[in-house]
Amino acid sequence: MSVGAAGPLITLVVVVVVFAALAPQFRTPGNIANILDAAAVLAVVTCGTTFVLLLGSIDLSAAGVMAASSLTVALLVENTRNGADHGLLGIVVAVLLGAALGGLSGLLLVLLRVPSFMTTLGVSAVGLGIATLLFAGVQPGVVDAGLRGWATGRFLGFTHLTWIAAACVLVGWVVQRHTRLGRYAMAIGGGEEVLALSGVRVAPYKVAVFTMAGAFYGLGAVMVTSQLGSGVVQAGADYSFSAITAAVVGGTLLVGGRGGVLHSTVGVLLLTVLANGLVLVGVSPYVQGGVQGLIVVVAVAAAAAPLRHRNQVVK
Amino acid sequence: MSTPAAGTAEPSGSAAVAAGPTATERLTSLMPVLALAVLVVALAAVDPDFLRRSSLMAVVDAAAPLAVLAAGATLVVLCGGIDLSIAALASLSSVLLALWLPGLDALAWPAVVAAAAVAGALQGAAHVFLRIPSFIVTLGGMSIFSSIALVVSGAATVPVDDDTSIRWGFTRVLGSVPSAAVVAVAVVAALALLVTLTPLDSAIKATGYSEAAARLAGVPVDLVKVGAFAVSGACAGLAAVLLVARTFSGGPTLADSLLLPAVAAIVVGGTAITGGHGGVWRTLVGALVVTLLRVGLSTVGVSAAYESILYGAIIVVAVALTLDRSKVLVVK
Repeated sequence: MSVGAAGPLITLVVVVVVFAALAPQFRTPGNIANILDAAAVLAVVTCGTTFVLLLGSIDLSAAGVMAASSLTVALLVENTRNGADHGLLGIVVAVLLGAALGGLSGLLLVLLRVPSFMTTLGVSAVGLGIATLLFAGVQPGVVDAGLRGWATGRFLGFTHLTWIAAACVLVGWVVQRHTRLGRYAMAIGGGEEVLALSGVRVAPYKVAVFTMAGAFYGLGAVMVTSQLGSGVVQAGADYSFSAITAAVVGGTLLVGGRGGVLHSTVGVLLLTVLANGLVLVGVSPYVQGGVQGLIVVVAVAAAAAPLRHRNQVVK
Repeated sequence: MSTPAAGTAEPSGSAAVAAGPTATERLTSLMPVLALAVLVVALAAVDPDFLRRSSLMAVVDAAAPLAVLAAGATLVVLCGGIDLSIAALASLSSVLLALWLPGLDALAWPAVVAAAAVAGALQGAAHVFLRIPSFIVTLGGMSIFSSIALVVSGAATVPVDDDTSIRWGFTRVLGSVPSAAVVAVAVVAALALLVTLTPLDSAIKATGYSEAAARLAGVPVDLVKVGAFAVSGACAGLAAVLLVARTFSGGPTLADSLLLPAVAAIVVGGTAITGGHGGVWRTLVGALVVTLLRVGLSTVGVSAAYESILYGAIIVVAVALTLDRSKVLVVK
């Protein structure tokens, strides 16, 4: 790891030290478990977004995909609105729905040749529509003990959500480093034309990456549903943007081909520690979004600074 | 404008650039007006009352804030960028207007529009000088504006007690014409005149068409882009004035739901998301189409939940139809 790549990690350490010095509540073991717990959903969602960013594309669909998956899982496991009790099958269906919506973004991208930020904005709206239809005015509460246990049950001091997130990061890292999909995602971001000219059919890999991202959003939505104890249309409200912010802050560049799951996870921890620490030092929670907005602009600008001498067009 | 884009090494790219508009392209550019006509006829067939003066006026009244909001952002899209912050900026402006009205009175709305223009210009400057893609700057801006709106309003709706100085935004002129519609047409006309009577038209389109070539040809690309973002911000501020005039309050999320319809209005109007092709008049038609679709859904009795799915579908379809394929060799 070069010095530049270690920047986000060093920043994370510095931020942790600063908050630990400023707020005594910050350095309790309970708060550390809280931070990891709070980071869990974002870590899973960011895994998906990271692969899309590696392609050099962008994904704004998490909000809609998560809404649809959240309502789906809440209505399929044992709940307060209908007689369904499909347990694990319901969770699998919700993840598959996420994958399907993600795949739709990818298909629209490669078939209609519409830029990904537009296809994913459209798919997000579709997902929100599906969620609103499923919601139908009555919030479905989750009764299923297994799913509720995801957020409440603990293993070695950390909630099951934290362990699921850790497993997702591991899976993401393995896919990125040791599978053709991960390698090609990296290569597509680095130089799509070159890859296509060397005889690789790029389109199926792009669709596969968006599908995988959708599956991560679906799982993230199941985790949010477990936390909230009900299916909610706003389940994914801020996650599209937070995931991009986390990935970029961690060193996964928007131009594609740079960074990866582990980089992004450092970004997730950095954002979560900031959110937690700022509240503990007494900053209004409403300011959080603004802080994230500033961070992403600064991080992207810092990443673009070394490339400034190129006469490169920025849209 | 027939100069091929500099730096495109792809042979198939330049051929498409040199050719004039084909029959399909002419049809595509007429599409928004055709869609509008078809929608009006279809709605009149389903509900004969629709053609009554009052229903038509209700539609143009509903479309007005959307048209103003989308008109400014059209300039950004023409430059080849995108402004995702307009709805959040309009929400923030509505809060500021509601807070400033008691103190500044008649000066409140110009102050809000000016503040929104400055906010837009700042985003443009960040985009141009820090070389950050416009959708990231404005996505960040969206977050920042929402956050400021929540903080200054205390996350609550701010009521307006005395709205005399902005009553012009929600009244009737010449009998039954909604003033908001007049404002929308005036804004679009002013923007169109400003653009066509000055060299701005070619500057904006050249920037959107091929930024590198425009820069080499001496177009002040950076200035044009910052200007486009400033106008986009000002229009968001003015849209907020219209919204506050009709709801008698400002809210930190008042206009947030207008982002998708506004983007839809721009692309449905036929302005290409790749930049360089389109115009502000087109957005006016687009805003009417989007509003009629919404009205049409409820007339036919379809649940409002389908609205969101519809916006998603029309955004993707309209972008696919209007995209300038000679320019995007690699779609990201």
